[in-house]
Amino acid sequence: MQLLGYIRQTMPTRRIAQRINFSSADLDQALEQELGPATQALAEPVDDETFLRRASLDLTGQLPDPEKIAAFIKDAHPGKRSALIDELLESPAYGRKWARYWTSVIFYESEANKNRVDPQALENWLAEQFNQGAPWDYITVMLISATPERNKAVRNDYGQDYGPNNFVLACENKSTELASQTARIFMGISIKCAECHDHPFDNWKREQFHELAAFFHPYTYKMPDQTDPKVQTVVQPRFLLGEKPHEEMKADARRVSIAAYLAYNPKNYWFARAYVNRIWSELLGDGFYDVDSLGPDSEVIHKPVVNRIAANFRYKDFDPKWVFRLIMNSKAYQREIRTSDSAADLFTAVRPARLRPDVIADSVENLIGEAPSIRKEIIQAFDMNPSLPQDALEGSIQQALLMMNNRELQTRLSQSELKQRLLSLPSDTDLVQSLYLNVLARHATPSERERNLSYLRESEKRDEAVDDLLWVLLNSTEFRTKR
Amino acid sequence: MQTDALLHLNLNRSGRLSRRNFLQTAALGVGGSSLLSQFRLHAEDLKKEGRSCILLWLAGAPSQLETWDPKPGTPNGGETKKIQTQTPGVEIAHHWPKIAGVMNEIAVIRAMTGKEAAHERGTYHLHTGHRMMGIEKFPHFGSVVARELGDPQSDIPNFVSIGQTLSSGFLGVQVAPFIIDRPGMLPDNVVNTTSDLRQRRRLALLSQQENEFAQAGAAALVKEQSELYQKANLMMTSPRLKAFQFDDEPAAMQEAYGKSQTGQGLLVARRLVEAGVPFVEVRSTGWDMHTNVFRSMERRAPEVDQGLSQLLLDLKQRGLLEKTLVLCMGEFGRTPKINARPPAPGRDHWVRNFNLLMAGAGIKGGQVIGKTDENGQEITEDPVQVDDLFQSMCKAMQMDAEMELHTPVGRPVRLVEGGAVIKGLFG
Repeated sequence: MQLLGYIRQTMPTRRIAQRINFSSADLDQALEQELGPATQALAEPVDDETFLRRASLDLTGQLPDPEKIAAFIKDAHPGKRSALIDELLESPAYGRKWARYWTSVIFYESEANKNRVDPQALENWLAEQFNQGAPWDYITVMLISATPERNKAVRNDYGQDYGPNNFVLACENKSTELASQTARIFMGISIKCAECHDHPFDNWKREQFHELAAFFHPYTYKMPDQTDPKVQTVVQPRFLLGEKPHEEMKADARRVSIAAYLAYNPKNYWFARAYVNRIWSELLGDGFYDVDSLGPDSEVIHKPVVNRIAANFRYKDFDPKWVFRLIMNSKAYQREIRTSDSAADLFTAVRPARLRPDVIADSVENLIGEAPSIRKEIIQAFDMNPSLPQDALEGSIQQALLMMNNRELQTRLSQSELKQRLLSLPSDTDLVQSLYLNVLARHATPSERERNLSYLRESEKRDEAVDDLLWVLLNSTEFRTKR
Repeated sequence: MQTDALLHLNLNRSGRLSRRNFLQTAALGVGGSSLLSQFRLHAEDLKKEGRSCILLWLAGAPSQLETWDPKPGTPNGGETKKIQTQTPGVEIAHHWPKIAGVMNEIAVIRAMTGKEAAHERGTYHLHTGHRMMGIEKFPHFGSVVARELGDPQSDIPNFVSIGQTLSSGFLGVQVAPFIIDRPGMLPDNVVNTTSDLRQRRRLALLSQQENEFAQAGAAALVKEQSELYQKANLMMTSPRLKAFQFDDEPAAMQEAYGKSQTGQGLLVARRLVEAGVPFVEVRSTGWDMHTNVFRSMERRAPEVDQGLSQLLLDLKQRGLLEKTLVLCMGEFGRTPKINARPPAPGRDHWVRNFNLLMAGAGIKGGQVIGKTDENGQEITEDPVQVDDLFQSMCKAMQMDAEMELHTPVGRPVRLVEGGAVIKGLFG
């Protein structure tokens, strides 16, 4: 870590950073310039209520409660949206939400034995880092340079209790897996197929892949022959851009040096851009490119925009919160939703996004109270690959069946405190309004109010009717979507 | 419109209109004549009822030398011996005595040759017929079958998988696999918790709620969800749900398939095919034997040996084999040379030659197609490409392999891009 501190201090970009500023307005300007004629199709800005719900889900994974909604709408301060972003970034739920996201990114495709990893320890450590405002280069270095050691005296103790060890453990400490996962997660590029053959559409050669793998190897790394894996040739460690470590460097120092090449070689623009692209993709529903499988650079849409954000992320010492502030204060983020499949109007609106399984579980528990078994079922049924773009994700019949029919969920909802409160309200109008505020975190529209009121009027049993209304909102697409 | 979509007419496979749905339909004011015409249309569909497919997927890629192409007595052969089968002249590895006993139903393809030696890519290639390239996500073959041969109004999914599998890609959720993990049990949450009347009112209110969200900019997500809810609702009232459950299955039959996940999965597959589901995949895991291949094969083979042989016997006895294609394969093969990995040697990834089994649906059993040399490293006769395999699968399913699928951007692609039906496969 001392070595890293030294490299970091001497970064040439630090000196120019003080003079450079890049604001949300600059971002909008850069984006609109890129959009060209598509700016005619820009969606309207969202209202306060929608902004509050969206920002809360994005930064904390939680819905705002009715009191918060009322206070936010009432607040007449012109900078209130910006203040909300700052406030949410300071809440402990912020670190937790993004720790869960990154833990899922790291573990989703991991084939490691479950007894040798501890995703929860990683999540806890990441949550702490994000909440403390730890820079992304520091987090990355900690993950990549970890050297977990097995304690043979204790069964299944592979050092997984220590959070940062779990990236290496998720890769089963295999050089090839570490190489491809480092490229995938921290550079956003896919070089896995170069393990066996030269990349079909890209510049990565088979040797390059194995040279990177050699970097992660404690001793001498041998590359298996393409046709006969028994024939092996020794490969010297070399980073993707050609950097070689000092010959006498020990294995653990070599890993720190990978991290250094990754983060501080100004020619490695992939590192900063991969983080920016992931966060942008989570916030706006589409990335500038698929977050972990970039081939040639020509696949990047509106490249000048993402490159500028990435360059400034570096100038800001890789501060994750800076990226959130920049994007969320922009007009681009604060537009209404629309689904478009044409690349031309990308980012003229925000794409409605499926909420992550843990967020849906939180929303459900918000209604019925803590419910471990339901939570587990939701996490399973709504499981999604965090590295796939929104338009590649799909719902399932199982999700529908779970939300419609799960007996425990229905019973808990029917006996919930929320339902008791709704029933105790003096008027049906209040009941409907409170229902929408509590379940969807917004007021009912006039037509929704009318529909729900007439449903209550036409029902024989008020108690059952309220169950029905709760059921309908729980089963609505909006309940599991960020709008 | 939305209400209509959610409360879809529930005609089951036998053309019966359930009483509950009849009431719903009547309540929506659908006239008697239109009801009758839908009924007739459905009867037309039933006549076309055709083929089904059961895919037994050996995930991880089984070794060809320990399955259907043993090479005992050669340096590459290892500890595996060969045994005679029911078919004179056809010999397979000794791990498979029960398969040997039904060899007259099976065509062994010994000279498969592929292009992808990584699990994810090989699995994709052998499930979709396309290599993983570019941005398009090709559908699982089962999704294409579900679309072509499945009844679109079906009250249970047209594609069921016991265990995780690939998605329907750009064909969308209508033909996505319905995944279950516990064979023999009713799928979770299929029992309605409220009365029919309340359920109907709830769904009607829900569809209005959904319409408003669609107009607010989420049309694509709402459309998908309404399709899923429609399917879920049909499923909940389906009399065919009992195909998932073993309640009426004799204990002796459950024993015959073997009390393993694979055996019980294959039994569910047979029940689903019998109930009219056109595609079922059963996943068996643990075939990636980089180390300890000989011991691991002893552990993994018996449940597949028992389940698959019983499936073939059972299908034949019920007269289903002639219209059911049975496939048993993995994503590629394994290195003929035995590696030196500790603690015990195994075999690594190898795609140049591997093998698989095909049976039923007009396929001539009791034959071996293709040959490898004595070390098992080269194909010497009748190589079969993945395209040829898919051409043959289409023929068995009576589907047009040349059919065009349309990707999300409207680009037409052929279901199978080249190749030809395997020579001599069909009798």
